[in-house]
Amino acid sequence: MNSFWTVAGFTMKNKFKGKSFLITTLIFVVILCIGSNLPYIISLFDKNGDKAANIGYAIDARAVEGTKIAEQLRQTYAAQENPAIKLIEYPDLGSTEQNEKALKDAVANKKIKGYLLFGPVNETGLPTVTYKSEKLMDEKTSQALEQGIQIVKTDIVLKDSGLTDQQKSMLLSPVVINTMQIAASDGAGGAGNGKTESQQGVDMGFVTFLLLLLFFGIMISGQMIASEITAEKSSRVMEIIVTSVSPLKQMFGKIFGMFVVGLVQIVAYVLVVIINVNLPHNNSAFMQYDIDLTKVDPLLLVYGLLFYVMGFLLYATLFAAVGSIVSRTEDLGQAVMPITMLSLAGFYITTFSISNPDTMLVKVTSFIPFFSPFVMLLRVGLANPPIWQVIVSIAILLVSIYAAGWLSAKIYRTGVLLYGKRPSWKELRKAMKAYKV
Amino acid sequence: MKPLIVEQVHKQYGEKKAVNGISFEVEAGEIYGLLGANGAGKTTTMRMVLGLIYPDEGRILYHGKPYTQEQLSMLGYLPEERGLYPRVKVSDQLIYLAQLRGMNKKDADANLKRWLDRFEVPEYYNKRVEELSKGNQQKIQFIASVIHRPRIVILDEAFSGLDPVNVELLKSTVKELRDAGTSMLFSTHRMEHVEELCRNITILHRSNPVLQGSLREIKKRYPREKVVLRTEGEVAGLEKLSGVTAVQKHEYGYEVGIAEESAAANILRHALEQTTIHKFEIMEPTLNEIFIKAVGGDLHE
Repeated sequence: MNSFWTVAGFTMKNKFKGKSFLITTLIFVVILCIGSNLPYIISLFDKNGDKAANIGYAIDARAVEGTKIAEQLRQTYAAQENPAIKLIEYPDLGSTEQNEKALKDAVANKKIKGYLLFGPVNETGLPTVTYKSEKLMDEKTSQALEQGIQIVKTDIVLKDSGLTDQQKSMLLSPVVINTMQIAASDGAGGAGNGKTESQQGVDMGFVTFLLLLLFFGIMISGQMIASEITAEKSSRVMEIIVTSVSPLKQMFGKIFGMFVVGLVQIVAYVLVVIINVNLPHNNSAFMQYDIDLTKVDPLLLVYGLLFYVMGFLLYATLFAAVGSIVSRTEDLGQAVMPITMLSLAGFYITTFSISNPDTMLVKVTSFIPFFSPFVMLLRVGLANPPIWQVIVSIAILLVSIYAAGWLSAKIYRTGVLLYGKRPSWKELRKAMKAYKV
Repeated sequence: MKPLIVEQVHKQYGEKKAVNGISFEVEAGEIYGLLGANGAGKTTTMRMVLGLIYPDEGRILYHGKPYTQEQLSMLGYLPEERGLYPRVKVSDQLIYLAQLRGMNKKDADANLKRWLDRFEVPEYYNKRVEELSKGNQQKIQFIASVIHRPRIVILDEAFSGLDPVNVELLKSTVKELRDAGTSMLFSTHRMEHVEELCRNITILHRSNPVLQGSLREIKKRYPREKVVLRTEGEVAGLEKLSGVTAVQKHEYGYEVGIAEESAAANILRHALEQTTIHKFEIMEPTLNEIFIKAVGGDLHE
């Protein structure tokens, strides 16, 4: 047992000391910092949009209808709590041309963004409205304008209908559908009391984040394990190591050491995100997007960790086995391809199913060992599967970890002594027999 | 109790017999030579002694006990293909390797410093292996195989790739270890090293042990068949003497092959009649010659 810890310690020490490890970790930390501050950063750029855009219009004695509507529009905006548009009236200068010239000057002086011209009343009972500005109207302004005019129009139409104000506001209020995710039976998803839409959104985001961590965590540490073993083999230091410590202890010591390294990295990332999200300036930004991270189910975090550990063990043993049969680092990329493909498939099943986590594909693959760490996490996070299914999936996963560990240990024991070209399965089996492993 | 006993060990790789019934014993404080052409089975034998692979038949005893994981801590191994972590500091990796063989960190550190001083390179303690020259990497590698004070050391091609000064340095170190009671299994292609260091040898040829025993006995077994002659003037008609099988003329004189030792006297008499003799010696066969004879012409497989 002692040498197991020695190997694990040596692996950790070298990784933590390594420059490349530090640099990749820092890069990820920076990316995460930016990512978690994104809502705030967007809101910073959006500040200008929050201020009402000044739009001018001229009082024109020759177009009474238009002026009247413009005045009504101005009042509508003025009555709004946080209007997107502020209409500014300009006095009548006697002629339409002179009025427009004054408005153009105002645009040139940046007093207003653009101005509205009201034409003659057409068959809809409203004057034609033209918006003129130097730039194309942005979506927000145009929406606000359309809405404003719609309100004014409705007002005009309903004015003589005899409806009460209450009826009017009922008519005007938009239809809202509230969706709740509930658990019809007891499940593992913790959705017992139902999840509101925003909570579902948070869950979705959180599950995506977990899946990304899971995938990258497993892939990166797995690759590192394989390449370290191959490097030891190609530098021939392996010959000394296998004569000092049993291959099994060495392999699992390395896997465990790398697991700790990966875990430390992930914990660092999660901490960075938590700290960033809790910075005071971020509170309002998240609120604005209706993201409440306290709504995240802690049980999900536990499942995330559980599936990380198991997924890691399953993949890491295979990566170690592959690393042990390759003699040169150049050949490694090709050799780990099948494992990479396997995990990519699992990961993609989840990304394609994230908004639809109840398909047959998801259900079936959540029991298949190489996919289940990803897919079952998705189901637990978003679909509320029956608890027995989760247990069965975990049990299958445990059995496969044991099988993969056993097979990998056998391959490893043989592989570390085989040099030259990558052995075929047949050669490997022959060598295993010869070495009596 | 002899530190290492190898008894009738066989190993088969698929169709190919890698080692066919080798037996030998190594005493405490003895360097045992394992010779053979490339692919003769030396490395397989060493790997079996190291417990990396198990023999199909026969047994290997360490101080009278069969192989267990605990034996590993008293074995030291200098592999033919050298290798250390290129980017790890000398101190870090040697202490690691010593720890793997059951030494505690403090002892390993002290021992490492002692060895670095012994090789007069204490400044390498904090250097990375890739910064060192090949010869110095070899020294570090050697330290790696003996740092944990093993009782049995296996040296595969110990001196290959070293300059003469470093060969002498390592050779004297090996002798010191031998005198301190360490048993060593030693393989090399350099016969003069074997003659200098080994008491007993085994020559392997195509997986079979063809020649075995103490170096002195083996040499006695081979007849002296060569006479070296250095003379003032030329000596004519040497090849016509009875018992002479070959005559080679060198810068320094003649090398005469003889069928039996009695022919040597004739050569001396014959030469004396013609000129003054500076040197006359009936040569003992060198290990090199014995090796080539034992292994035959097919050294280059």
